[in-house]
Amino acid sequence: MTPLLEVSGLRAGYGQINVLWDVDLTVEEGKTTVIVGPNGAGKTTLLRTLMGLVYASAGSMTLHGQTLKGGKTWDIVERGMVMIPEGRMVFPDMSVLDNLMMGAYPRAGRADWETRLERVFAMFPRLKERRGQMAGLMSGGEAQMLAMGRGLMENPQVLLIDEPSLGLAPVIVDEIFTILADLKAQGLTIVLVEQNTSRALHLADHVYLMRSGKTILSQPAAEVDLGHLHDLYFARDGGSAAVG
Amino acid sequence: MKHRMVVLVALVLAYGAVPLLLGSMDYVMSLIIAALTIGGVALAWALLGNLGGLVSFGHAAFFGVGAYTSAILVVDHHWPVLLAMVAGGVGAAVASVATMPALRLRGPYFALAILAYGHIFRILAVEATSLTGGAAGMLSIPGFPTLLGINLASKTGAYALILTIVLLFAWLYGLIRRSTYGLALRAMHDSELATRVVGVPSTHLKAAMLVISAFMTGVVGAFNAHQINFLDPEYAFASSWTVLPIAAAIFGGYRTVWGPVLGALVVFLVDQLVFKELMPSGHQLVFGVLLGGMVILGPHGLLPLLGRWSKKEASHAGA
Repeated sequence: MTPLLEVSGLRAGYGQINVLWDVDLTVEEGKTTVIVGPNGAGKTTLLRTLMGLVYASAGSMTLHGQTLKGGKTWDIVERGMVMIPEGRMVFPDMSVLDNLMMGAYPRAGRADWETRLERVFAMFPRLKERRGQMAGLMSGGEAQMLAMGRGLMENPQVLLIDEPSLGLAPVIVDEIFTILADLKAQGLTIVLVEQNTSRALHLADHVYLMRSGKTILSQPAAEVDLGHLHDLYFARDGGSAAVG
Repeated sequence: MKHRMVVLVALVLAYGAVPLLLGSMDYVMSLIIAALTIGGVALAWALLGNLGGLVSFGHAAFFGVGAYTSAILVVDHHWPVLLAMVAGGVGAAVASVATMPALRLRGPYFALAILAYGHIFRILAVEATSLTGGAAGMLSIPGFPTLLGINLASKTGAYALILTIVLLFAWLYGLIRRSTYGLALRAMHDSELATRVVGVPSTHLKAAMLVISAFMTGVVGAFNAHQINFLDPEYAFASSWTVLPIAAAIFGGYRTVWGPVLGALVVFLVDQLVFKELMPSGHQLVFGVLLGGMVILGPHGLLPLLGRWSKKEASHAGA
């Protein structure tokens, strides 16, 4: 069976500056793939390249066996891959409800938006309570839930989530990870970028470690040795990149 | 219900009371017609500037292209004036397609790029002598016909025509704003990147707004050409067709549907009837101070400011 999402030899960057160097990534349907790595490793750039927000200069990336290269972000969303961006990117001057409605913007989502909205509200009761509030007035945790709710309004097959725990209190992080575990249990394919390694590992089926724009480790989660992972993470491996 | 009553009263006043009371005063009627002309462009500008978040300095280009398209069709090809006016809008919309590369730019860069486009169209109008008459312009452009027994060429008729055009545009604007597209455009104002992430084809949407805005501006430009029966490139592409609507939209409150129209009426009429009387030369200075004061006191414009005051009054009355 072909993997749902497959990336090989991917190069991408911003103008003259290349960030990703021959990145390989395989995401199996229904699995949670976790990408960890220090700041500046290219994790966010990888997700943005997948979404067509950053230009891919070389390599291939396919979703359901069909290429993603050159695709427009909005078309990729319609094809079932949705990103919950780093820093939430909610629309601050719009109400919570309008933010969620934006998630139902793609044509496929318009017909049954009510069902989708009910499902999101069931998952995030706080969003239901605050649906009339301006999104810009929410706390970081609420904004993260809103960003996730908005992403789920798209009814994704693959959900790319970029550092959902960034800047949040531990109790909120717990809540976010509980919801991610629920989504995983429902069979959703998840690609999670996280700096919170130990939390992310609990959820993962497969783990990638990125450093300096390369994937230097690819291992089933069950085989990952946290100590070894942290050594690679902090470059305590003497500089030789070990590919697992 | 209350809202409907307000609209109904306003319509009766606009179509009935204004012509009945002021119809015999030619000068005042021409001023009101000119104010509504600016209001129509202001509305078109606000559609792009508010909903699309694109501040354009180039609407004079669409105004001029609309004016010339309609005038040429009527003079050289004997089209009926009202049909040619619609074609003027289409002409401006086609011209806007040429300006689309500017959509790749943001903020002030877009504003300046589209300003440059505006000048290109003015130069074209000067150079294409066989088509436009060049710098000498076009004289005796036919005026409006008589429709359903109303002589649209009269001051009252022209007033009714531009009023109808502006009302139709306001209705269209309101329709777009309430739609899913309006929601997406509002989101784009906050962050275009985020709208892409949620699956909005933001480039297409901006392009569509540019075309609609250019169409509206072109129709108003065509109206103006048949109203004053004369065109030359300096006049048809004058920067005031960009600047006055922007001032009107900001003054009136460009985030509302009626703000630009109200702004145009207030700004233009007060300037012409009051300040010009008091200060025959340099009256624009007073107007500049007024606009500056407005930006400081009520950055969202006159209409939201009035709304706030009336709410305050109501809460005082209730207490």
